Amino acid sequence: MPVPRPKRKYVVLAAAACAAVLAVVLSVSAFSSGGGDVTYLDGSTTAFMYDTGHQPLAPDFSGATLTGTPVALSSYRGKVVVLNFWGSWCVACRSEAPTLSVVAEQEQRKGVSFLGVDIQDTNANALAFDKNHDVIYPSVSDPSELVVLKFSSVVPIAATPTTLVIDRTGHIAAMIGGAASYSELTSVLAKVTEAS
Amino acid sequence: MTDLRPAPEVDDQPAIPVPDATFGVCDWLRWAWRQLTSMRIALILLFLLALGSVPGSMLPQEGTNAAGVAQYYKSHPTLAPLLNHLGMFNVFGAPWFAAIYLLLFASLVGCVVPRTFKLAGSARTLPPRAPRNIGRLPHSATYATSLPPGPALEVSAGMLGGHGFRMRHSGDGERWISAEKGYLREAGNLLFHLSLLGILVSIALGGLFGYKADKLLVAGATFTDTQSDLDEIYPGRLVTDSDFAPFSIKLDSFSASYVQSGPQLGQPSAFNADVSYTTSPGAPVKTDDIQVNSPLSIDGAKVYLIGHGYAPIFKVTSASGQPEYNQAQPFIAGTSGDFLSQGVVKVPDATPEGLGFSGVFVPTAAVSPDGTLESVFPAAANPRVSLIAYGGNLGMNSGPTQSVYELDMAGLKQLAAQPHVLSQGQTWKLPDGKGSITFVGYQQWASFAITHDPGQLPALICGMGALGGLLLSFLVRRRRVFVRVAAAPSGSGSVVRFGGLARTDASGGFEAEFASLAAELRAAHEQQAPQQETGD
Repeated sequence: MPVPRPKRKYVVLAAAACAAVLAVVLSVSAFSSGGGDVTYLDGSTTAFMYDTGHQPLAPDFSGATLTGTPVALSSYRGKVVVLNFWGSWCVACRSEAPTLSVVAEQEQRKGVSFLGVDIQDTNANALAFDKNHDVIYPSVSDPSELVVLKFSSVVPIAATPTTLVIDRTGHIAAMIGGAASYSELTSVLAKVTEAS
Repeated sequence: MTDLRPAPEVDDQPAIPVPDATFGVCDWLRWAWRQLTSMRIALILLFLLALGSVPGSMLPQEGTNAAGVAQYYKSHPTLAPLLNHLGMFNVFGAPWFAAIYLLLFASLVGCVVPRTFKLAGSARTLPPRAPRNIGRLPHSATYATSLPPGPALEVSAGMLGGHGFRMRHSGDGERWISAEKGYLREAGNLLFHLSLLGILVSIALGGLFGYKADKLLVAGATFTDTQSDLDEIYPGRLVTDSDFAPFSIKLDSFSASYVQSGPQLGQPSAFNADVSYTTSPGAPVKTDDIQVNSPLSIDGAKVYLIGHGYAPIFKVTSASGQPEYNQAQPFIAGTSGDFLSQGVVKVPDATPEGLGFSGVFVPTAAVSPDGTLESVFPAAANPRVSLIAYGGNLGMNSGPTQSVYELDMAGLKQLAAQPHVLSQGQTWKLPDGKGSITFVGYQQWASFAITHDPGQLPALICGMGALGGLLLSFLVRRRRVFVRVAAAPSGSGSVVRFGGLARTDASGGFEAEFASLAAELRAAHEQQAPQQETGD
């Protein structure tokens, strides 16, 4: 009987299979890191602006404010909107609140609208927060994060608070994950109000 | 003589050549690859993998038990940094552990893929030519028939084809048929190997794209499967937002039943979490009853009921009557089973200063002789809370994220010397115009574990495939039969030689099969024989 000779073809095939698996894994991981289409703000890893032409359309939602007034995002069309996801229980939201109040006060005079989305919270707690922090804009009550769910298919909301800046055409121009700083928010708003 | 036996199962790989002085770089690489893909190395790697996971279960791990790691550092100040250096507190993320499983994966793939090709090749090959002397085969039969050689061979082919034999016919000038049956054995073997690969890929899929998460949900509340709404998430390496199925679940009600009498008094007898859920925003609402061992399957994820407890509802108002807090706050029970539960209430926006309460909730209260609250039954027949009130800065306006079950005592001052006990509906007016707190009632909460393992179903299918393939390759045997027809020496009719053999190590029962085939073949020949012969 002939001595079986090593089948080099199979070795090559196996190596090719390994290489293919590796290539798939690498390409998937490259995809999931999501590069491109956004420009991060200076010195930030969680705040970015979408590049022109890549701004996703903000999903519409409607609901009731903490005081019971009906509100819909679509009614803000034509205005630049700052959408802030927050909760009275959230430490970063509380530390962000004074900054947000100052920016809201100065930007609302320039025609920018502010709208909060109060998540995992009760209206009583949230209203006490608004009173305590002199919040001058309304918030939609979203205790079970249904609004977040709508947005998370479009933008990578991972932290509370998260602030989105929506341009006059209803597209999301920028996202700031975590507590927004004064300079981040004002520089983004300057660009968005100027551009559209 | 050529080997007439059906191809044996593909055996181990060819012997690995021993390195010698003539080895070049390519030879060394090939040698290393052969070593890696050999059965021995695969087994050693598998053993190392098992050995490597031991510290992962013996020592506290950072991902799941950070507090345990800190504790270990305290109790073993010299050993802990050393262990940390070796990655012992994060075993499953350690480079050496990754090295083992990547090598194992490469070894298995490198072993299984070539075998798969060999098996596929062996399942396709035709049987060899019929031997010249069929009488030397382990089983054979010879008989004469009045059929001429040509028709006799045709009848044989028809009979064997009817039995599902794969046949090889002789060319011109010779009259023989080789036939083989039992290719399912190779197919089973192939299925087994492919399934093995499938299992590996499925496990990798689950590890990369799966996630585990926990969520505590108070009755009446809804949660959505988003990263920000889940309490704890343990995602796989490549999990992105889009991997979280966009479902939302509302806990309509939770009920726990307890044994009401007898020696098992107070033992839980049933837990039911009635939920309504949607698979995506706007989808129709469905309902389900999640029980301890009956999870809800939703959009590729499984939702398990893993715990429950009470969430007392408190209302806090300022001295002037302004509402400052109104919420059902989950309290956590100890392990004693009587649901004496502890928790805290944080009212950071209270006026004139922030309020914090640390409390105990008991579902069925009894007051012990020394005046403390005791719980006598896990169901809420007579709920009470006992609260200690604090005023000051809760530390929630800056700094790190806080636990909802602990107060940051640094900026807080106790408001009253004694804890205050409230029954349902009662209000405690705090001293010095700090407002009041009302124990409104309670809700039950349930906690859920959400697991999404995209590799689970493929792994199950591949597992069943592997088992089925293994059974096929054990139960089916390959066997070959040969027919040679020659003209009878007498001049009319022909002589049929029929022989067969099976793989020696799995040939049990072939003798009987061969005998019945031989009888059938002979009967077929006789039936087809010319009328005048049988009529004579």
